[in-house]
Amino acid sequence: MWRIALKGIFGRKARLVLTSLAVILGTAFLSGTAVFSATLNQTFNNLFSDVFRNVDSYVRSTQVIEADFGQQERQRIPVELVDVVKQVPGVADVQADIQAFARIIGKDGKPLGAEGNGPPTFGSVGQKFKGALWTISQGRFAAGPTEVVLDEASAKTGKFVLGDTVKVVAQSGSREFSLVGIASYGNVRSPGGATFALFDLATAQEFLAKPGFVDDILVSGDGSLSDTELAKAINTAIPSTYKTETLTGAQITKETQDQIGTALSFFGILLSVFSYIALGVGCFVIYNVFSISAAQRQRENALLRAIGASKKQVTRAMLIESVVVGLFGSTVGLIAGIGLSKALSALLKAANIDLPSGGLVVPRSAIVNTIIVGLIVTVASAWLPARRAGRVPPLAAMRETAIEVVALTRRRTIFGLALIALGIASIVTVTNGASKTWLGFGILFFFSGTITLGPVIARPVALLLGKPAEKLRGVTGTMARQNSARNPKRTSRTAAPVLIGVALVTAVAALAASISSQIDGVFTQQFKGDYAISTSARGFGGLSPSLADDINAIPQVERATGIGLLTVKIDGKGQYLTTINPVTAEGVFDIGLTSGTYADLTADTIFVSQKYADNHATKLGDIIQVTLADAQVKTLSIAGIYQYDSLAGKYTVSKDLVKDSTVITFDLGVYIKMKPGVSNADARAKLQAAVDKYGQGTLLSKREYIDSQSGKINQLLGLIYGLLFLSVIIAVVGIIITLLLSVFERQREIGLLRAVGMTKSQVRTTVRWESVITSLIGAVVGIVLGVGLGWVVVYALRDQGLSSFSVPVGSTVFILILAFVIGVLAAVYPAWRATRVNLLAAITTS
Amino acid sequence: MNNPSAATATNVSKIYGHGDSEVRALDDVSVQFETGKFTAIMGPSGSGKSTLMHCMAGLDEMTQGSVTIADIDIASLKDKDLTKLRRDKIGFVFQSFNLVPTLTADENIRLPLLLGNNKGNEEWIQKVINTVHLQDRLTHRPSELSGGQQQRVAVARALASEPAIIFADEPTGNLDSTTGNEILSFMRKAVDELGQTIVMVTHDPVSASYADRIVFLKDGKIAGELLEPTPELVLDYMKKLGH
Repeated sequence: MWRIALKGIFGRKARLVLTSLAVILGTAFLSGTAVFSATLNQTFNNLFSDVFRNVDSYVRSTQVIEADFGQQERQRIPVELVDVVKQVPGVADVQADIQAFARIIGKDGKPLGAEGNGPPTFGSVGQKFKGALWTISQGRFAAGPTEVVLDEASAKTGKFVLGDTVKVVAQSGSREFSLVGIASYGNVRSPGGATFALFDLATAQEFLAKPGFVDDILVSGDGSLSDTELAKAINTAIPSTYKTETLTGAQITKETQDQIGTALSFFGILLSVFSYIALGVGCFVIYNVFSISAAQRQRENALLRAIGASKKQVTRAMLIESVVVGLFGSTVGLIAGIGLSKALSALLKAANIDLPSGGLVVPRSAIVNTIIVGLIVTVASAWLPARRAGRVPPLAAMRETAIEVVALTRRRTIFGLALIALGIASIVTVTNGASKTWLGFGILFFFSGTITLGPVIARPVALLLGKPAEKLRGVTGTMARQNSARNPKRTSRTAAPVLIGVALVTAVAALAASISSQIDGVFTQQFKGDYAISTSARGFGGLSPSLADDINAIPQVERATGIGLLTVKIDGKGQYLTTINPVTAEGVFDIGLTSGTYADLTADTIFVSQKYADNHATKLGDIIQVTLADAQVKTLSIAGIYQYDSLAGKYTVSKDLVKDSTVITFDLGVYIKMKPGVSNADARAKLQAAVDKYGQGTLLSKREYIDSQSGKINQLLGLIYGLLFLSVIIAVVGIIITLLLSVFERQREIGLLRAVGMTKSQVRTTVRWESVITSLIGAVVGIVLGVGLGWVVVYALRDQGLSSFSVPVGSTVFILILAFVIGVLAAVYPAWRATRVNLLAAITTS
Repeated sequence: MNNPSAATATNVSKIYGHGDSEVRALDDVSVQFETGKFTAIMGPSGSGKSTLMHCMAGLDEMTQGSVTIADIDIASLKDKDLTKLRRDKIGFVFQSFNLVPTLTADENIRLPLLLGNNKGNEEWIQKVINTVHLQDRLTHRPSELSGGQQQRVAVARALASEPAIIFADEPTGNLDSTTGNEILSFMRKAVDELGQTIVMVTHDPVSASYADRIVFLKDGKIAGELLEPTPELVLDYMKKLGH
């Protein structure tokens, strides 16, 4: 049987390639994402071991506030420690380091890099140091308060040359410097696409941070002590009152690598989730291809049975074929995946994210995983068709044409309906208060039920969706419609990948639309200004607090108020506080105070949300202790309670709270109300001038601002769409393969049609419409499922504050159009093949 | 229809292969098919009778010579115009697999008209349908029809567009003799009562005897002709030709 199977496979190379295509695509995404993640990880590991190569010890504060999403805020240390460390025996050289927010303003007045979305923008210290991070490639390091050095990539994008004047915006405002040098970081022009403005130590402290403080101290030893001994010596030399710790170079390298590793592993998991979805979609395609190919070889298999092969042997021959296809497909897929990851890296490079060239890392686990998963998926998908092939009666060898059995069993209908009923029941129990894990089961049951029912509903749905084709295209449309309904099993298997992809996209879109409309509602309720200045910088940098003051000084402005965020510790846990200016907030930013007035908010008081007050049974006058990032402890009494907590969160304080601390605050937004009668043009001109002075933030009208806030979710949506695109590609390939096999099967019919007068373009039209109808079946059923799925997810998230469900009308229309286009594109090659059918061979009886 | 000849082949040759392996399927064949007549082409297997039909119907390319159908020289036509010629001027009946399985009998009958976006002559179509007795089978799919009914649909399709000529390739080859004779009677009726022109390839003397004239082919050449044939005459003639 082995020999027959192998001969069968290699005798028809085209079929092998076609069958393998689905396996190749599925495994290519799998190996591509694995290789890409591993390469990225290795790249960063190399980068940080390079960066800290000559750093033997690393001194920093032990005071850290850990907030949500793994964000850390570490306290700064006094600059005088630099001298203490320098005196320690065994220390050869030290450098105080500061890494803070700074934006380089380009010659066109616009900041370099994409605000908020891109890699961070840093200001740092650049000086001659034995363990140097930065090496000068042109000019020299900055010396004095008027000089700056830029990283090579920024200098290039900003077209800056030595001697140019460069405007830089930092926490303390904007300032102009003269460019005296250009530096590179290890062997890259800039690390990870971040921009860097480098200053001398004194300027960095005063411009970027607070005078007298630095972030950490890098130490290079003279070689007389081991790294561990050196770190120990430094630690004992620094008085414990400073609350510092000293790490060895190896420790800080490891710590940084681990941090990046955690962030990257999340990214890697996300990528692999979507590549597994793609592979799952690929299963349908593989299953379909094997089914069709088994049907087309019915006579051949029947002949084998007639001359004495057992059922088992016929089945085994097909399984052997699937093993060969699986191995061949996943090997090609593995190689294609490596190419894919190279393409991804190239894409990053094109997006100006310059990674050090570490070379491609192909982990052994990726190789083994890809081959094994590819093999299992292929053989498992071929299992049923192979069993069915074995059951072919020997008599079928005598039959005129091979036709796939299309009888639909009642068992299928009942089983499918039962699964759907089970799914609905699970979802209903959750709406009645059962555990949410049932939601997952409910969705799974519902999906499986729909897929099981697929062949039953495919025919009526195909006939319904094909109606317009018939109206539009006459007899070619009729044939396309009938062809798509002709073999409901095949049609439903071909449409299933489209269905899954569309259902997921629709669900995500529904979720996003719901979130968007929710955000819209929140901002309409709480933002009472006419204009807003917003920055998309999150957690790192923001608008200078003096911007709001400047705007208040504009005569046309009724009132402007800045809103910011502060990270503190409450009861030992990191928490975010909203900072407002109580003097200007009234009537511009409405938090819905139910007790107290804005005037009650001082440096010694705090407002809490109604929900917090209810949960903690607190009342006005209760005390909350807040630890600032510089370890200062503030005792605040509750002076007000507010209702609207979607923007302000649990706690709101006055920005005066941090007035006498080393903590730096930014505003994340400035809300502005104009005096009555001020024209839009006038207001815009005046406000824009104020914004331009800082080179930061975007001026938006009320509507623009609300739209931009509710539109933020769409960025996430873009990423998910991109990842689901993998599944779409496989779905398209599935349609192509099915159409090709169908065209092959219908050669005689096409030949007949050509003989009696069907033109080539009519042949193409028929194939094209069949493809469009198949694709639309997947899209329409997928949209229905997706909207349902979206509703379920929104419902599950209702205690997270998501109260209303919105149907994503725009996305739905877009998906339908896309499905149409996909149908047309997928048909191009099969339609061409159909016109190449040998007319004479088709009509002459053998 | 002033031209007495619906289709004319002049010095047609069809050669496969080159040099030593060259095979002349048709060797300088010239023949005319009269309008309003039923002509049969006979000959042993490999005599080139099917090839002649394919070349004259624009289904296959000839190596040399020319063919005109309804005064149109088909050698000069591009694929698209050739397709249109087959659709509008030629009717086809094949031995098997004549119908599109997804279309009803009625749609199959009107297929060439539908493909040409042509309403056709409804009166004529009804007449054709009545002639082949298919009135009560029109909504059926081919799989729901018997072999004889399927061939009747095929004959009706060939007639539906009032073509200049109908080519039938062993139209009764897959049928039992009773059903076969029924089909042949219909074809005879189409010529006598509806004024159609039919050219039929066959190897069966009984079938051929339904024709007005028989053209015999042997080794790719015209071997003779017989007018007003009966089965006995045909058999005699075939013996003479050395079958």
